[in-house]
Amino acid sequence: MTEMERDFRSAHAGGRDDLTPDLVQKIEERFRYDLQRSRHRRRVQRLMLNIAGVILFLILWEVAPRVVPGVNLQMFPPPSGVVGTLWDLIASGELAGHAWSSLKRAVAGFVLGSTAGILVGLLTGRLMMLRDLSDPVLHSLRSIPSIAFVPLAIVWFGLGETPKIALITWGTFFPVWVNTFIGVRDVPNIYVRSAASLGASPAGIMLQVVLPAALPFIIAGLRQATAVAFVILVAAELVGASSGLGYLISFSHLVFRVDMMFVGLMALGALGFLADTLFAASLDRIFPWYGAEAR
Amino acid sequence: MRRVARGSEAARSSSRGHVSERPDEGVVAIEHVSKLFPSTEGESTWALLDVSLSIRDGEFMCAIGPSGCGKTTLLNLIAGFIEPTRGELRFDKTPISGPAPERGVVFQEYALFPWLTAQRNVEFGLKMQGMAKAERRERANEALNLVGLADAARRYPFELSGGMRQRVAVARALVNHPRILLMDEPFAAVDALTRASLQTELLRIWEEIGITIFFITHNIEEAVYLGDRIVVMSPNPGQIQETVEVDIARPRNRSELEFGRLYAKVNGIFHRQGVSAS
Ligand SMILES: Nc1ncnc2c1ncn2[C@@H]1O[C@H](COP(=O)(O)OP(=O)(O)OP(=O)(O)O)[C@@H](O)[C@H]1O
Ligand SMILES: [Mg+2]
Repeated sequence: MTEMERDFRSAHAGGRDDLTPDLVQKIEERFRYDLQRSRHRRRVQRLMLNIAGVILFLILWEVAPRVVPGVNLQMFPPPSGVVGTLWDLIASGELAGHAWSSLKRAVAGFVLGSTAGILVGLLTGRLMMLRDLSDPVLHSLRSIPSIAFVPLAIVWFGLGETPKIALITWGTFFPVWVNTFIGVRDVPNIYVRSAASLGASPAGIMLQVVLPAALPFIIAGLRQATAVAFVILVAAELVGASSGLGYLISFSHLVFRVDMMFVGLMALGALGFLADTLFAASLDRIFPWYGAEAR
Repeated sequence: MRRVARGSEAARSSSRGHVSERPDEGVVAIEHVSKLFPSTEGESTWALLDVSLSIRDGEFMCAIGPSGCGKTTLLNLIAGFIEPTRGELRFDKTPISGPAPERGVVFQEYALFPWLTAQRNVEFGLKMQGMAKAERRERANEALNLVGLADAARRYPFELSGGMRQRVAVARALVNHPRILLMDEPFAAVDALTRASLQTELLRIWEEIGITIFFITHNIEEAVYLGDRIVVMSPNPGQIQETVEVDIARPRNRSELEFGRLYAKVNGIFHRQGVSAS
């Protein structure tokens, strides 16, 4: 029983309800207050559980290598063995430097690839002729794992920034294109007809109706693309780079510093988690209407 | 909102008449129109076969008939969403060549854009036609007022009831000041009580702004309550069976003798077809 019910229930007990405007307002105020409090409580609870989960994971990681027989603590360092290295890398600014160069590449490739993906998806989704023309080629190219292009990119573009950005552009293009295409193709005809009868031009229909109607799909594609961008980024940095988190990991391998490798892995995990959280948060903000029908 | 007395509307359209050979054709002229659709396995069906109809300026015309008799096809042709296989359709003496804001459409399903608030949905057409923000805001408010939804302006469609959504859809079409409102079973998805109040409200708006309405329904009572004339259609192939004049004064009373007589008449035409209104 909520506090509101406890306080105001007696009003309903008699034969006739004596709901005065004053009482109604009080009930409403209390209702809103309770609602806000329970939402706040839920948020705090979620945060606490999130933190507890991380701590639990760290404890397990600390204990596991010590209790499992035959594990070499040099090969599988627990958090206590990594934290010193982590601190050193942070203090020297090395970690931030590597993370920054990785992030720059990922963002540049992601922006280029997904812009192209959205444009091509809009066009192939709306124009039957373009769709038929491009279908076999695009789907064949899509089914080649992007990592298979790493050696080719190095042959073509050398070891600088270009091959990495080009590879990420290539890899992020496909999930964004496919999702945009499906979203655009399945836009309910009734929206398009409504817009046309309200006086919208073909360009207006494309930008003001087809694009927003397909947006949930496009966002799903972008989200997939962030994961793809990380995979390709690391693959490219592992083989030919002088900076970046992938480089940090492969360098640690050369100098046999497993603890440093772990720091690289953790940084990648943290970056990925941040990117996804950002996505989830922006989704609710940009599309209050999305998924609301099912709520 | 445009407030025009019914008579002056007719005067306006005839004074414009650039084609003088058909001086008294209605606001919509449908002449020997047929529509062939592909059906499964390479077959084809006549959704409409040799249909002729004239919709008078300012009238409330209802179309009724069993499922599949071509009602929606007829509306889509007038709206300009599809082209006839044979025959000609004219709006205000000009051949219909595509959708236009002068012919507003209200669909059966909820066709509001879910990503826009009620207000922005209503503004959409004006925005697409390049009207300045302040002016279109004012016009949208007027239209929302007309359907009694000024309070719901900031809500998204998912926050509105079925009846409210259809009223917003009506406002969205009316804000363009169309000459004719094409409605395809607009109240089929709402409950009986809401439907009755939407009907009353639609009649009020129709009288207030002097617009022409083409209204599709499955419901004989609804047709007799709303229409000046009722077009009764039959399927396979889609054709007009009969056009019934409803000469009952408004406001109409469903328990009136005359109401019952016309109900029976329309119902009779259905049964002569040998099919029941589904
Ligand atoms: N786009 C289409 N492609 C193929 N056949 C169609 C198409 N639209 C309509 N038809 C066919 O044309 C006929 C008339 O359809 P229409 O939708 O106009 O009927 P209706 O009177 O509106 O029916 P309902 O009352 O069920 O809405 C039906 O046989 C239908 O199958
Ligand atoms: Mg229909």
